[in-house]
Amino acid sequence: MGFLSPPPVRKLPLAGEDTARVVEPNGNGASSFVSSGRRAVASTSLAVDRMQVEELSIAYGSKLAVDSVSLPIRQGEVLALIGPSGCGKTTLLRSLNRLTELTKTASLKGRITLDGDDTATFEPTSLRRRVTMVFQQPNPFPMSVFDNVAFVLREQASRRPRKRELKGAVEDALRRAGLWDEVKHDLAHPALRLSGGQQQRLCIARALAANPEVLLLDEPCSALDPQSTQVIEDLIVQLREEVAVVIVTHNLQQAYRIADYVAFMYLGELVEYGPAEQVFGAPKQERTREYVSGAFG
Amino acid sequence: MATQVHDDPGARALRADRRAELMLGALVLGVLGFVLLLIVFVFREAWPSFANNGLLWFANGDDFDREIEEIFMSANLLQEPVYDFRAWPILWSTIVITTLSVVISFIAALFVSVFVVEFAPEWMRRILEPVIRLLASVPSVILGLLGVLILVPFIGEQLITDDQRREVSYVVSLSGYSLLAGVLILSLMIAPLMIAVFVDGLRSVPRGWLEGALGLGVNRWRTFWKIGVRTARPALVAGTVLATARAIGESIMLAMVCGGVGFAPNPADGLIFFLEPAKPIPAAILQASEELTSPPMRDTIFAMASILLFSSLVLSLAGWAVKQPMKKYGVRS
Repeated sequence: MGFLSPPPVRKLPLAGEDTARVVEPNGNGASSFVSSGRRAVASTSLAVDRMQVEELSIAYGSKLAVDSVSLPIRQGEVLALIGPSGCGKTTLLRSLNRLTELTKTASLKGRITLDGDDTATFEPTSLRRRVTMVFQQPNPFPMSVFDNVAFVLREQASRRPRKRELKGAVEDALRRAGLWDEVKHDLAHPALRLSGGQQQRLCIARALAANPEVLLLDEPCSALDPQSTQVIEDLIVQLREEVAVVIVTHNLQQAYRIADYVAFMYLGELVEYGPAEQVFGAPKQERTREYVSGAFG
Repeated sequence: MATQVHDDPGARALRADRRAELMLGALVLGVLGFVLLLIVFVFREAWPSFANNGLLWFANGDDFDREIEEIFMSANLLQEPVYDFRAWPILWSTIVITTLSVVISFIAALFVSVFVVEFAPEWMRRILEPVIRLLASVPSVILGLLGVLILVPFIGEQLITDDQRREVSYVVSLSGYSLLAGVLILSLMIAPLMIAVFVDGLRSVPRGWLEGALGLGVNRWRTFWKIGVRTARPALVAGTVLATARAIGESIMLAMVCGGVGFAPNPADGLIFFLEPAKPIPAAILQASEELTSPPMRDTIFAMASILLFSSLVLSLAGWAVKQPMKKYGVRS
């Protein structure tokens, strides 16, 4: 992946800005899409520590996929995990809500805390309600739009709630995912007949319906066209005020567009972690510099 | 010109294609024609029996076995053939035995297949699956033998009390050959068939849907129940239809363990209902098939067969109809 002739970078409005700006690339080769005008990370007063990854190592059998990684996950910020394929970023993401446990050979060392509590002590289901996941492929359930969002709410309720009681929560989740205006007239519409971008936003709505504290996104735009990608990126930037957002992406420009903090991983190690500005603009590590300039990966 | 066409590989491939198309088309037409002929033939042969009895054909008579006897004998006497036939006992036996065993084996098969696909450890799965497939292909006569040698004596000696025998002695004698034996063995027979189809269906549920639910904090059991089983419903329907078809058509095993008495088990008898003998349609046909030489008997047998044929037709239609609403939400069969 190289950026020899980078496309214009559309800067999303960050907190405090009213309009999006389009930044023309200056065409200076490596890391050229990093414009000097990128706004500094959202004010730190907004950011609240939600999760803490401490010395986390994950192995599949004898193969080490994540090697003693430590980083914080904060609400009010978007954290992007970048790195070449197989570098362990998706594994790290899945370990945050213990989805790695579904793989029988996976073993985990180290600690992950959510609001100060070790996630290993949680019931997996209650952890996954507070830390929800959106996957690479849009995977709406084979039900109506309404039932997709209501599914989690129904599963959480101790007795089966009536449709009327759920309506508000479903509408709220769809609004937060920016899908409400498109589906409000036909909530009984089969979810699998929506377009790819709408399906992915439905999956985000579904993940938000549980009112999670952390939202994990595993390459949410890789199966989507540029326009849908745009919509979802806007959405992610908006969401970071309410939930901590962690996104895995292969797309460096996307990471640059939406992330406040970036973690670059290579062969399971966390090579560099820092504000997006710094990782893309002035990487401290040689390997980071090579990667963000498109030398490998 | 002709040689040119002959040498051109594209044209040759096209002709081969067309030949295959024609042959397959002819085969399909042949099979369709055969099925149609079969249906027409069976219903034509059955007609005298229906015509002579009218709707009373489906009603309950005094003594099923004596009717059969009289129909058979009437061909040998120099008199008008007798057609008087009341099929209710065998219809009722078929309905009860099929429904009960399909319900029992459906519930069992559903839980077993969910367990096999989602919860069983790998080594157990590796043993269970071939065993289930093997069980699905056990000849029914072997199961019938097991029933006659083990289950029927057990029911006759252990389950039926003298009081129960006395209670119904004025209509039927309880010997162990019973509805219960038929239902149990039939369930055993069709459950592996259902499990095999269900397991395939459940396994083909996209992992993404299951992971999606797990990633939202729904536990494994609920995930599999609400998403997996829901998505696999077409396979559940297909397996059930297949198993029901086999249950309806099962003759030899049921003839062996159900007692072969033309008697309609009476639900009003309470639990004794299950211990009473029965005679489903295929068993009745099997037991009467030696008497095909007698023309009225022959027509009567064809009438019973036409009911079986009709019910399998209805079954396929019902299976198709049940799948329709699922298509809407993108669940494909």
